[in-house]
Amino acid sequence: MFRRSSYASVAAGNSGQSQNSGPARSGAFSHLAASNPGVGPPSAHPSTHHARHLSRSLDADGHPHGSMSSSWRQGQGHAPYSGTFGYAAGMPHDGASPLFFVPSYLRGSKHAERLEEAHKKRLAAQREYRSNHSSNAGSLSTSSSSVNLHKLGASHRGMAHDIVERAPPFVDDQSAAPWPTRWNEGDKYIQLELEEYGRQAKFSGSQKTHDEAASVRADYPMPRQCGIYYYEVTVVSKGKDGRMIGVGFSGPKVALTRIPGWEPESYAYHGDDGQCFSNTTSGKPYGPKFGTLDVIGCGINFRTGTAFFTKNGHFLGTAFRDLKTDKSYYPTIGMKKPGETLKANFGQEPFAFDIDKMVKAEKAAIHVEIARSRTVYRIEKDKPPVEETAFIHSLVGQYLAHDGYVETARAFGEEVIEEARALTNDGDADLSYVEADEDIDAINRQKIRAAILEGDIDKALKHTNAYYPSVLRENENIYFKLRCRKFIEMIRRTNELSAQLQQAVPTPPSKRSTASNGDGDEYGFEMELDDHLNAHHNGGQQRDWEMGIHRADTMDTEDRLSLDLDTEDMEARLNKLTQETISYGQVLKQEFQHDPRREVKRALEDTFALIAYENVGESSLAPLLERGGRVPVAEELNGAILVSLGKSSSAALERLVQQTEALVGELADDGGPGAFINVGRDFLQ
Amino acid sequence: MSSSTVSVSAATPTQHHFQRRVDETKPSKSDINFVIMDYLISEGYPKAAEKFAKEANIQLPREEEPIQARVEIRKAIHAGNIDTAINKINDLNPQILDTDSALHFALLRLQLIELIRVCTTNADADITPALNFASSQLAPRAATNPDFLKDLELTMSLLIFLPTEGALQPQFAELLQPSLRRDVASRVNEAILTNMGMRGEARLRSLVRLRVWAEDKARAAGKDIPPAMPLGLQDADESMNEGHGNSDALDIMVS
Repeated sequence: MFRRSSYASVAAGNSGQSQNSGPARSGAFSHLAASNPGVGPPSAHPSTHHARHLSRSLDADGHPHGSMSSSWRQGQGHAPYSGTFGYAAGMPHDGASPLFFVPSYLRGSKHAERLEEAHKKRLAAQREYRSNHSSNAGSLSTSSSSVNLHKLGASHRGMAHDIVERAPPFVDDQSAAPWPTRWNEGDKYIQLELEEYGRQAKFSGSQKTHDEAASVRADYPMPRQCGIYYYEVTVVSKGKDGRMIGVGFSGPKVALTRIPGWEPESYAYHGDDGQCFSNTTSGKPYGPKFGTLDVIGCGINFRTGTAFFTKNGHFLGTAFRDLKTDKSYYPTIGMKKPGETLKANFGQEPFAFDIDKMVKAEKAAIHVEIARSRTVYRIEKDKPPVEETAFIHSLVGQYLAHDGYVETARAFGEEVIEEARALTNDGDADLSYVEADEDIDAINRQKIRAAILEGDIDKALKHTNAYYPSVLRENENIYFKLRCRKFIEMIRRTNELSAQLQQAVPTPPSKRSTASNGDGDEYGFEMELDDHLNAHHNGGQQRDWEMGIHRADTMDTEDRLSLDLDTEDMEARLNKLTQETISYGQVLKQEFQHDPRREVKRALEDTFALIAYENVGESSLAPLLERGGRVPVAEELNGAILVSLGKSSSAALERLVQQTEALVGELADDGGPGAFINVGRDFLQ
Repeated sequence: MSSSTVSVSAATPTQHHFQRRVDETKPSKSDINFVIMDYLISEGYPKAAEKFAKEANIQLPREEEPIQARVEIRKAIHAGNIDTAINKINDLNPQILDTDSALHFALLRLQLIELIRVCTTNADADITPALNFASSQLAPRAATNPDFLKDLELTMSLLIFLPTEGALQPQFAELLQPSLRRDVASRVNEAILTNMGMRGEARLRSLVRLRVWAEDKARAAGKDIPPAMPLGLQDADESMNEGHGNSDALDIMVS
């Protein structure tokens, strides 16, 4: 139902209002849009700007560097294209970031993820560019106020998060081939006029001779990495006496004076006779004729090398086979009668045809194939290969041991052996499970990890320096992250304390079940270590944990608070803690303020911005405070310790994931079956 | 550090391309931990799951009861106590076996195999229980399905072949392998999980299969990938000593 009414309204030409509601155009915005007629440069896509873009562009307006409105004005007379539009590298697209959309059938795909990542990176680069050029970036007040400006932008928080917690994922810009977004002003026959921000093409010249026509290609080729690529065209008007219309795709060099389908590397479905054409002026019977208000869809399945068309939501069957795997195909339309008008939907709106279902079916078939694939695995040399379950057990066991999950590894080993015994019915089971080598390092590493996961950074620093003195020296970035994390933890505690103070009634002990177990043991160890360290003084490292608050204060704050502190005590503690937090922050700033690295500067800014909030938990920086943020720091440190011990930083399971991603990537490059697999989404989450 | 990596692998540019791709992907620890936890829960390792929740500081999914029940069912099947297993499955939800006749048949056949095993251990044992069970429980079901019938005939032949001296033919030997019990146990486990509206197959298992599938496909398509892709499951030292391209060092053998 919805689809039908949608394409009808598209045809009626009022789609501008109906599409992509978003936070509707505000007054400020529509004035910008109005000042800018349809043939505008790339950024003129008002319908899809959301509030975030809006606030940013307004922000940029008053700015000396590449303000949005000025770039629009400049763009008007020029051929706005030059191929750089949006996705090309090297140009500051300040304020002129193209809208980003994901066609429905590609949602959740690896390729869509990649493009989204690239898009976010571009936005971040723009933000960076602006903030670097604003007068007093970096001071506490500015960063917090700019945070206010971008409060709407969830991506800002993600960004800050990324920098503090983990390196942003690598994006290979070459593999992030963008999909078509509009007809290309620079790649059309001259008598075609583009409207509706490049999505509508109208033939405005005089009628063409028998073998001449006017064609236009889209701005980007259909990306193979999508596996299936599909777009639709609505015949807004077939003109006075026409419907000599062709919808299809062609290579970048195909002449635009010919209707698509007549030339080599050109493929199309024609409205006047319903035939499909490739490489020749004589077509073959294919589907019904089409004309005004019909919606024609065109898709390529790169995995099978076939192309198909749809009409008003109905599949018309395979039109072409044996498409070449090494060619770029651009969506292409052609026409030859005055008044003929076509409007494209590259995924900005819902499609008339249920392409989502087709893509889903394709995925499902591939997943069935995957589920059937079996083999035998060789774990150890000189031993016979084992079957899948034993292999998985080895993977799990090795991961647990490698990453220092000592207790888990032991429990898992016991359970697996017990299982194997039950299975063979006698005590003499052939245990193919490779027992994890348990060593003191694993236990130490687990202690350090546990400390970080509990938020006790001091303890983690202490242990690390005691057992692996070189690690922090040689991994300054990890040391920095730990120091930042400590500040964050102090803010966390301050927050908790003040929240409790406000409530007057102490909150029940939170779910810290993990922290308290085995405390006695832990404590004894602490004392021992303290003595040891005090005796030896262990170089200059000690400053790391002498600084800031004393451990006795930091440990188990939550637990103790719930016991017997009265309000006065709490206030005193809060004041003390706040003081300590600030002075620790000062020390932290002093230590790293001259660090030239951008990510360090950024992380410091974001970290210090925390202090500007009365209640950070409700601010846009709240994600920084989440407990989950401890995990990446803990893992990075664990990895560094492993490397310092001469072990591989990643476990076999991680390598398996890496290899799988890489292999699937290989299978996706040319639109093969890998294009339909998103390892992270389909298998890891 | 990065420069040395480049110079080392520059000698083999094709490997370099793929290796770079491998290095570019950095699976997040929380994803890996999630996959591990998912495996421990769905394939039924409750003690390890509990410890892991503590050590990795992640939430233990709430459903203690069914996991314990699944573990007990698995144990019963592994030990050959099929009757117990069937009762426990029906306690959980009788629909599981009602709606999956193939699974029910597989369980009953396992039970028959156990009966045959018992009565053929010594020459003068009574084979009546096995015969009775076959005719009362399996035969009616086999009548409706040719595959079941074939399986039943094969199983019944064990009665004749098992007491004889010498090696069994492979199709009979297979029936006595522990792997048959394990396969049925894992099918039961998946059926219970699916019945509870959960994912039947553990993600880790799917992932391992994906890895195998992807290598197969990539080789078939003639992609430029290294001849061997070790995972390093062995000791670090040992794998370091392996020569390049030594197929013995393979963790995964594509058969």
